[in-house]
Amino acid sequence: MSHSDDQHHDQFLRLFAEHGPALRVFVRALVPSHRDASDVTQEVAVVLWKKFADFDATRDFRKWAFGVARYEVLAYLRDKGRDRHVFDDELVSKLADEASVAAPRHDAQREALETCLQKLPEPQRALVLAAYAKDARIDQLAEHRGQTAMSLYKTLYRIRRALLLCVRRTMSRENLA
Amino acid sequence: MRHRWHEQIQRCANGQSSAAEIAELHKALSADAELRALYLDYLNLDMALSATADAAVTVADDNARIIEDSRRIDRQPAHLWRWAAGAAACALLVILVMPSKRQHELRAQHDLAAAAESAQQAITRLPSGAPAGLPAWMSPTASLLDQPTSRQ
Repeated sequence: MSHSDDQHHDQFLRLFAEHGPALRVFVRALVPSHRDASDVTQEVAVVLWKKFADFDATRDFRKWAFGVARYEVLAYLRDKGRDRHVFDDELVSKLADEASVAAPRHDAQREALETCLQKLPEPQRALVLAAYAKDARIDQLAEHRGQTAMSLYKTLYRIRRALLLCVRRTMSRENLA
Repeated sequence: MRHRWHEQIQRCANGQSSAAEIAELHKALSADAELRALYLDYLNLDMALSATADAAVTVADDNARIIEDSRRIDRQPAHLWRWAAGAAACALLVILVMPSKRQHELRAQHDLAAAAESAQQAITRLPSGAPAGLPAWMSPTASLLDQPTSRQ
C-alpha cells in the first residue's frame, strides 16, 4: 500500500469511527431486526469504503454516508420484503429523513444515557447491561434469574422506558432536545 | 395512549411483534411524526445500550487482566524469596564445604610436617661418621655437594 493509499485509508477510518455510531442508529431505525441491521451496517461499511475514492472531502461525511446507507437499506428491505413483514419504502424514507435530522440529538442522547444509567439502582443497571451483552439470550438470563422470559421482557421494557424518559428530561433541562 | 406505544415499539425492536402488530405500528408511524421521533429515540437507546454493554465487557476484561497482572506482580516477591533461599542454601553449602577442604589441607600440611620431623629425627639418629673402612664423603650425612676429595 502506498503512502497516499495509507492516508486515504486512515482518513476513512477516522471518519467512520467518528460517524459509525450515528450510522448504526440510522440503519437500525430503518431495519427493525437487530441481526438484519447488523448485516446491513457491515454491507454499508464495505460500500462506503469502495465509494470513498469518489467522496468529496469538502462535503459532510455523515450526510454522504446516510445517503449511501439509505439506498442499501431500501435494496435490502425490498429483497426481504418478499418473505417478511417490514416497513414500506415510503415510511422508510420518512424515517431516514427524520433520522438524519435527529442525528445530533441522538448523539447528545447517547451522552446523556451514561448519567441516566448511573441513576438506575445497581440491580437494574446490571440487568439491562447483561441483557444487551453480546450473545446474551433472554431465555437463559430469565432462567438464571428464576423468571419467565416474558416477565423479564416486561422488566426490561420498564427499565428502557425509565432510561428514555430520563434521557429526554436531561436533554430538555440542558435545552438540547 | 402513548404508554402502549412504548411497549409496542420495543417489542418491534426486539423482533417480538406479530405481523398484525407490525402493520398497526406501521400505520401509526406513517401518520404520527411524534411517534416516529419516539421510535427513533428508542432505537437510538437500543444501540447505545448495546455499545455500553460491549464497553462494560471490555472494561471488565481489562480490569480482570489488570488484577491478574497485579496478582502476578504480588507473587513475584515469593519468586524472589525462592531465589534468595536458593542462593542462601548455596552460600551455606560453600561455607560448610570450604572449612572441611581447609581442614583437609591443614591436615595434609600437618602430616607433611610430621613426616618431615620424623625424617629429621631419623637422620639425626644416624651415625654421623662414615662406617669404618669407608671414606668420609660416603657418610650418609655428608653433603651431596661435597665433592669427593681425590687423592692427589
